[in-house]
Amino acid sequence: MFFFTIRRVIASVFVLLASSFLVFALCAASFDPLSKYYTQNPRPPESFFENLREQLGLNDNFFVRYWNWLSGALTGNFGETINGTPVSEQLGGRLLVTGRMILLAIIIAVVLAVVVGVVGAVRQYKPSDYAFTFLAYLLIALPTFWFAAILKEFVAGGVNDVFGKQVLFTIGEETPGLSLYASGWELWSDRLGHLVLPTVSLALLSFAAWSRFQRSAMLDVLGSDYMRLARAKGLPYRRVVMKHGLRNALIPLTTVVALGIGTLFGGAVITEQVFVWHGMGEYLIQNGIGQNDINVVLGWLLVSAVFVVVFNLVADVLYAVLDPRIRLS
Amino acid sequence: MATTQAAAEAALPSEPGAPIGGGVEREFTVKARSQRQQIVRRFVRNKVGMTGLVVFVLLLAFGFLGPLLYTTDYATQNSGAQSVPPGSQGYPLGSDAIGRDLLAGLMQGVQRSMLIVLLFVVIALPLGLLVGALAGYFGRWVDSVLMRFVDLILTVPLLVVLIVVASNFPSSRTPLGVGIILGLFGWLDLARIVRSQFLSLREKEYVEAAHALGASNSRIIFKHLIPNALGSLIVWTTLAAATAIILEASLTYLGFGVNGANQTSLGRLVSDGVQATTTRPWLFYFPGITLLVIVLSINLIGDGIRDAFDPSNRRVRA
Repeated sequence: MFFFTIRRVIASVFVLLASSFLVFALCAASFDPLSKYYTQNPRPPESFFENLREQLGLNDNFFVRYWNWLSGALTGNFGETINGTPVSEQLGGRLLVTGRMILLAIIIAVVLAVVVGVVGAVRQYKPSDYAFTFLAYLLIALPTFWFAAILKEFVAGGVNDVFGKQVLFTIGEETPGLSLYASGWELWSDRLGHLVLPTVSLALLSFAAWSRFQRSAMLDVLGSDYMRLARAKGLPYRRVVMKHGLRNALIPLTTVVALGIGTLFGGAVITEQVFVWHGMGEYLIQNGIGQNDINVVLGWLLVSAVFVVVFNLVADVLYAVLDPRIRLS
Repeated sequence: MATTQAAAEAALPSEPGAPIGGGVEREFTVKARSQRQQIVRRFVRNKVGMTGLVVFVLLLAFGFLGPLLYTTDYATQNSGAQSVPPGSQGYPLGSDAIGRDLLAGLMQGVQRSMLIVLLFVVIALPLGLLVGALAGYFGRWVDSVLMRFVDLILTVPLLVVLIVVASNFPSSRTPLGVGIILGLFGWLDLARIVRSQFLSLREKEYVEAAHALGASNSRIIFKHLIPNALGSLIVWTTLAAATAIILEASLTYLGFGVNGANQTSLGRLVSDGVQATTTRPWLFYFPGITLLVIVLSINLIGDGIRDAFDPSNRRVRA
C-alpha cells in the first residue's frame, strides 16, 4: 500500500510536468503579451516592441521560455500580469473563493448522489425511483447558466420572502467591503448566504449524472450472489445493503467523481459568471483571456491541472482502500 | 440467439426422413431474426426511447419544415415592434429587443444547432475512432503514447481548452466555427471507449481466426472490430451530440461561441434570454425550454439505443 502510493505520487508528478508543457505550448501559441500595444494610436515605435520583447524574454527559444516559467512556477512564482502585479498573490486569493464553492459542491453532489442512487436502486421502479430518474434527466439536459438563472429568479426570491430579509444573495461572493471591517461569524454568515445558490447550481448538475451512475452500480451489486448469501445467513436487510452492498457500489463512483473534477472546474467558470463572483473563473475570462495575459492563463491552467491530477491520485488510493482485491503491484 | 437456433432447427424436417421443405405442416413457425432486427425491435418497443425519437423528429420538422409554413424571416428587424409579448402584433412568440421574431429565431436556432451537432460528429467520430482503434488494436507503445496524450489533454477542463482555442480565432464566432472547434476537441472520451472495447475484442477467437486466414490489420479493424463495437459508437454519438449542444450554449454564454453579428443558434438565443428573465420572460423560457427538450430527447434516444444493444443494462454513462 505504501509503495503503491509512493509510486502513484511519482507518476503524478511526471503527468503534471508533461501537462505543464502542453499547457505552455497551448498558451504560447495563443497569447501575445504585446497585443494591447499593437492597436495603440499612435503606434509605438518598433524599438519599443524590441525592448519589451527582450525584457519579457519573448525572443528566447521556446524551451528556454518554458524552463524560465516552470522554474518560477515550481517556487510559487507564476510571473507577473501585463499590469506588473504578481500572479501568484491574486491567484491564491481567488482560489480560496472558488475553492470553497467547488469543494462544497463536490461534497453536496457526492452525498446526494449516493443517497439518491441507493434509494433509486433499492426501490427500483417505484414512484420515488421514477421521480428521481426524471429529475436527473432534466438536470442533465439543462445548461448551467439557464438553471442558475432560474435559481436566482425563484429560489432566492422565495426564500428571502419567507425569512423577510435577504438571506440568499445572487451577486458576488460577499457583500462588497464587508471583509474590511467585519470578521468572524458576521463575515462568514454573509459569505454563506452568498455561497448557497452558486454551490447548489454547480452541485446539482454533477449530482444528476453521478446519481444515475450510483444507481446502476448499486443495482449491479444488489443482484449479485454474495448479497443473497448474506441475506440467507440471516443478516438484517439494512445491514446487508449498507455494509455489503453500498461499500462495493461506491468503488466505481470514486473514479467518476475524480474524473468529474475537471468538469466542475469548467462549470465553476460559468457559475461565477452568472453569480458575478470574483473568483478563478472571472480571473481567467477577464484578466487572462480578455487581456491576452499569458501568465494569468498559465497559472490558472496549472492550478486546475494540479487539482485534476491530485484528485485522480486520491481516487486511485481510495480505490485500493475500498477494494482490497485491487492488485497493488 | 435463441431465435436463430430455433430457425435452424425449423429448417430441418420435423420427422426424420421427411423431405426438406416438402410442405410439412409445422406446429410452430419460427422466423429467424438477425441481430440487427432484434436490436431495432428492442428499440421500437422501448417506450422512453421511442418518445425521445418522436419528440426529436418533431423538433427537426419544426426547425427545417417550419420555415416553409411560417415564412417570416428572423433577420427582419422591426423598430415598431420591439420586445412585444407573445401573441401581439402578429408575433406568435413575441419579439426581441430589436424587433426580430422569436418563433422564426427558434426555427433557425434549431437548424444551426443541428449543423453544429453534425459538424461535431463528422469531425469527432472519425478522430476518436482512429485514435482509440490504433491504441486498442496495436497496444504496446502506440497505446501508451496515444493514451498518455489523451490523459494529458484531459487534465485541463474541456470547456477551458475550448475557450482558449476559440479566443485565438475571433472570426470563428459562427455555428460553423464552433462546430469545428467542438469536433476537434470532443473525441477524447470516445478514444478511451473505443480503446477499451478493442482491447477486449481483439482477444476474441474470431479475430484470431481472421489472422490465421491472413487478413490484414486494416481488414480486421474495419470488417471485424468496428462492427462489433458499433453499439458503443452509436450510443456515444447520441449522448455526445446532446453534450455538444450544451457545450455550445455554455461557450456562447461566455462569449466564445456563436457570438458573431447576425449569427444564431439555440445557445445564442438562450444566453441572450438569460439577461431578460423577469423583464421579457418569453425570451428566457421559450429558447431555454426548446434547448431542454432537444437535449432531453437526444439523451432518451441514446439511452434507448444503449438498452437495445445491451439489454442487461450494465453500461451507464458517467
